[in-house]
Amino acid sequence: MKFDTVIIGGGLAGLVAGISLQREGRGTAIVSTGQNALHFFSGTFESLTEAPQRMTDLFGEAGIRLHYRPGVRLMPMGTFRESALSLEDVDLFPSPEFARKVLIVNFMGYHDFFSSFLAEGLEKQGMQCRIRLINLPEMDKLEQSPSEMRSVQIARTMDRIWEKVVQEVRVLLKDEDAVLLPQVFGLQDTAVPGRIRQGIPARVVFAGTLPPSVPGIRTQMLLKRRYEVLGGTYLMGDEALNAHVHEGVVHSIVTKNLDNHYLEADHFILASGGFFSKGLRSNPFNITEPVFGLDVEYNQDRNAWYDKAFSADQPYMQYGVKTDETLHGLSDGKPFKNLYAIGSILGGTRPELGSGAGLAVRSAFAAADVILSEAKNLE
Amino acid sequence: MKLQEYTVSKHNFEECMKCTVCTAYCPVLQVNPLYPGPKQAGPDGERLRLKDPYFFNYALKYCLNCKRCEVACPSGVNVADLIQAARIKYDHSKPKLRDTILASTDFMGTVARPVAPIVNGVTKLGITKSAMDALLRIDRQRTFPSYSPRSFESWLKRRDKEQAVFQEQVAYFHGCYVNYNYPQLGKDLVKVLNALGVGVQLLEKEKCCGIAMITNGMSEQASKNARHNMAALRKAVVDKGLRVVTTSSSCTLTMREEYPNLLGVDNADVKDSLLMATRFIFEKLEKGATLKFKAGFHKKIAYHVPCHMEKMGWGVFSEKLLRMIPGVEFTLLDSACCGIAGTYGFKKENYAASQAIGAALFDQIKTVNPDVVACDCETCKWQIEMSTGYTVMNPISILAEAIEIE
Amino acid sequence: MNPNEFDVIIIGGGITGAGTQRDCAMRGLRTLLVERSDIATGATGRNHGLLHSGARYAVNDAESARECIKENMILRRIAAHCIDETDGLFITLPEDDLGYQQTFVEACQAAGINAEIIDPELAKRLEPSVNPELIGAVKVPDGSVDPFRLCAANMLDAKLHGGQVRLYTEVTGIIREGDTVKGIHTRSRQTGEEADYYAPVIVNACGVWGQSIAEMAGVKVSMYPAKGALLIFAHRVNNVVINRCRKPSNADILVPGDTVCIIGTTSTRIPIEECYNVAVTPDEVTLLITEGAKLAPSLSSTRILRAYAGVRPLVSADNDPTGRNISRGIVCLDHEERDGLKGFVTITGGKLMTYRLMAEMATDVVCRKLGVDKPCETATTPLPGSEERSYEAVAQKIWEAPSTAQKAAASRMGTSASRIRGNNPYDDALICECEEVSVGEINSAIDRLEVSTLTDLRRRTRIGMGTCQGEFCACRAASLLAKAHGCVEKEREDLAHFLNERWKGNFPIGWGDTLREAEYTQWVYKHVLGL
Repeated sequence: MKFDTVIIGGGLAGLVAGISLQREGRGTAIVSTGQNALHFFSGTFESLTEAPQRMTDLFGEAGIRLHYRPGVRLMPMGTFRESALSLEDVDLFPSPEFARKVLIVNFMGYHDFFSSFLAEGLEKQGMQCRIRLINLPEMDKLEQSPSEMRSVQIARTMDRIWEKVVQEVRVLLKDEDAVLLPQVFGLQDTAVPGRIRQGIPARVVFAGTLPPSVPGIRTQMLLKRRYEVLGGTYLMGDEALNAHVHEGVVHSIVTKNLDNHYLEADHFILASGGFFSKGLRSNPFNITEPVFGLDVEYNQDRNAWYDKAFSADQPYMQYGVKTDETLHGLSDGKPFKNLYAIGSILGGTRPELGSGAGLAVRSAFAAADVILSEAKNLE
Repeated sequence: MKLQEYTVSKHNFEECMKCTVCTAYCPVLQVNPLYPGPKQAGPDGERLRLKDPYFFNYALKYCLNCKRCEVACPSGVNVADLIQAARIKYDHSKPKLRDTILASTDFMGTVARPVAPIVNGVTKLGITKSAMDALLRIDRQRTFPSYSPRSFESWLKRRDKEQAVFQEQVAYFHGCYVNYNYPQLGKDLVKVLNALGVGVQLLEKEKCCGIAMITNGMSEQASKNARHNMAALRKAVVDKGLRVVTTSSSCTLTMREEYPNLLGVDNADVKDSLLMATRFIFEKLEKGATLKFKAGFHKKIAYHVPCHMEKMGWGVFSEKLLRMIPGVEFTLLDSACCGIAGTYGFKKENYAASQAIGAALFDQIKTVNPDVVACDCETCKWQIEMSTGYTVMNPISILAEAIEIE
Repeated sequence: MNPNEFDVIIIGGGITGAGTQRDCAMRGLRTLLVERSDIATGATGRNHGLLHSGARYAVNDAESARECIKENMILRRIAAHCIDETDGLFITLPEDDLGYQQTFVEACQAAGINAEIIDPELAKRLEPSVNPELIGAVKVPDGSVDPFRLCAANMLDAKLHGGQVRLYTEVTGIIREGDTVKGIHTRSRQTGEEADYYAPVIVNACGVWGQSIAEMAGVKVSMYPAKGALLIFAHRVNNVVINRCRKPSNADILVPGDTVCIIGTTSTRIPIEECYNVAVTPDEVTLLITEGAKLAPSLSSTRILRAYAGVRPLVSADNDPTGRNISRGIVCLDHEERDGLKGFVTITGGKLMTYRLMAEMATDVVCRKLGVDKPCETATTPLPGSEERSYEAVAQKIWEAPSTAQKAAASRMGTSASRIRGNNPYDDALICECEEVSVGEINSAIDRLEVSTLTDLRRRTRIGMGTCQGEFCACRAASLLAKAHGCVEKEREDLAHFLNERWKGNFPIGWGDTLREAEYTQWVYKHVLGL
């Protein structure tokens, strides 16, 4: 099967690159080893300190409204972190003290929302907190499962019964000027968080939970749907195994599902992520990039991969594949002509592009631009 | 290999990062709190079962084996295989009579087909449905697929001479459904392949792929069928150098993946030659073959990728083929399980869950309002037709309808 | 009666101390146990968890071998819920001398260990993971024992017999009047509060740290700590203990313990001041993997969960400072006889396996000093939780159709699983999904087993000991602890400490899936949760 561009990795970077190319009429395919790190997305785009119009447009067309307001966001453990750009239902405050009194509401039996930590964190900032649990008969079924009282399952129920939550909260609400709810709303029905805000006569703030991230899954679904509507081919659950390369040009890749049916393309984008996503592979002896064998920047001494403190910045997280200025992946120091590496597989090798979601989006745009301009030059 | 160069155990369950993504895509979890979910039933449970088989949980029987957990897993863990393998290994309870009946598609077909008009009439009778519901716990709201009075095998056998004239030949694993219930699909495939200059022949003797036996706790019978089919496939592939095409995604997945992974029946020498017909046709067209399409053909098609097609990753072939047909208005339905999962939805205790699982898909179909739903799986077809009233066709049949034969 | 006065004070919350407190308490003494950290934090919790048959010692140390087999049989009866009766194999590989097998079997039989030479083919069937190239195999009654559970059960039984326990309480001095020990000065490491406790007899059961306690009392006990490194693999590769049938050496035992298996160990002498902070070196890791793969080849590709090290409390029985007279056996010192110091007893040396015997010996001395004449009953009275022999029986009695998590709880708690509250969905909810630990089990541990921190909770329930090493359960459990202790701020620190402690065991083997998991955990706690 032949495409203009084949993208390996269907997370934030891969999808942004794919959508950017499809918008310009390029036929692309995304090969994705299952779902991706968007499922753990916190809802804010770190290291994006300005809101590029291009990004807001791309997300907006997919039905995802972003909200640019430099400030701080409330983290699930009750701490605050600086950020500038977030999903619509993730609040950014000018300062941590976003209310005087806060009512924190959780569901009975739900352990992935940390109300006591949140309360302590808010109290440190001078806010008064009250924690209340609600128990809805519609959730009885969920509670029966010892392991599956998870954000995403609750969110499925909430898409149907969010109005009950609004009613319960209205009953509980006394003189609080803000209500804190777990982020389990608007999985399929994106209008739900907004309706809840309208229905409760206080400021409603959604605080994150343990993964899976409901806003993250929603973002993934909407971006993927947008990509497919634009004609993109998303091969979910397939894995790029290796590539056919001739004189620095990638001709095709071999995937697990399509075996001897190769995916050919003029351009290839490698957005396969870091260690977790298996974009990078490690063993006691080395760190490698498994599909193209790209050069990886890392310390040969394994002892240098780690900092002994869990909370420190870990050196291994900085490791990534080497590229030239225009993101062409390098092998033995020489760039591939039509292969670009984007997203977290770059690790910290391109600090000017930022990190996390910022790196994913910036490098995706950059690679798409190079591909489009190269194609234009040919024409 | 150096020590610790790779860390992949049997069934690769240790690659599980406990990220919980699979739980977000399990259709059963959404409706049945008794099911522990793919993470608990799969990699988590496996560690305990390795300690002591006593930790096996009989609730694993609620797994549909739809493989959506595997498709979703970012780590490539064979979650469903782990669950099904555990059932085979540890669940020694005898299958119920009802399950044996449901799983024995081959046997039922052989017995029922010659007296098809009677059987079809009887299974549609209210009283039969009540009896099956009460005695066998097969839900009365289900309708058994009709049996065809003439099998596909006998139809094709009578045409072996006309098929033999084609220089290029393929063998066709038609499966129970085409043979006993719906020979038309087989005839459609023959029409399309003949139009491409390819003759179709039967395997020497095929049996049911065994998928229903695996899920109904009859793994020994399934292994027997697997060994039989492998011998038949080898004769076609190894001895005659043929490729084998299929029109059912579940039969194909079973023979390609479940035989080696669950039943321990090796298929390495034939696996690459066993293809869904849509992939075979797509590849032929890609290499330059052509089909002539009818002028003025118009159809609004919504394509549902069956779970097992999704797992194989081959939905793209059916999709591209359908999009190739001039006059087709194509919608790709959101990836979701229809809820039937073979024999699962037929069981009375699963009926409600089965319908609840499929609800989102049914809604989407109604919103799209297509002329026809396309789908590569026969049980999805029954489920979607029963639940939405829309006609469901295999992409091959749509193709057969769209092409012009000179 | 002064609440700070006891019949006997036991210093040290390892298995020896806990066992001694239980024995003393069962003989009717008023007991206090003080421990500077948590239970089982020293050598008790940092070994293989091997229920020795004694076979390993049979050739070189017949006395230890006899002690082991005797205690082995006793523990099967009294500590059923802490023990897995797996059996063991001593295998001979082509590089080993098959002639040793005969010597070995004869020595075993002489010590009363039922060692049986079996066909290597049979050995492969008994334990499919064993190196298929083996040329000889001997079956012995080895098993595995959970040291944390064993220690907790002893402490609990002591408490049920009126004993008092002060964890995180450091002994800062020994109160001495002339040639008689009267009591101890202590300081709480949690609150800083100081307290003195008095008793006519004080038992020093501090393992390798017993040297400094003895110094405080003014007597000399010379410890010769030997570090041993071990690796934990992420699942049970073997269900039968695999040993090498040769002179005991490095990394020649693979023990299946609960949901994991453990290879070890190495042996390196270290200075006593390094005992608080032993780390596993890359060379040790390589050695353990290389030698381990000879026992079970699949270890070469099995995910490793952690690396850890412990310190063996080897002791010089006499006052000889050269350490020439080092014993691996039990050393019970009545310092009145040895040094003329009244009311001070040191119990050290020995092994996890022989803790009960050590406790009995120490308690006999204590009773003699106190003039108490009561027989020891610890060899026949089951520990709390061990009243049933199998967890199947336990689970069946408590639940009609036990879930996997309930079965797992029964396997960890034994009959105490009946104390898991409710039978309601809230108590059944899982906190640790890898090891299947429920809210009910955690609350039960908090109620009964002296839990201060998440790490303490881990030792008592196995939360965070599974594949994900605390990725999801740590913060869930932290919420429960914060609620139980009514302090969120402290719990925040505790959580950070717990994760750091998990990471400490991960990074020495930080590659492959372990590194992937670490990256994910870091991501979750830093970027998603904002710890």
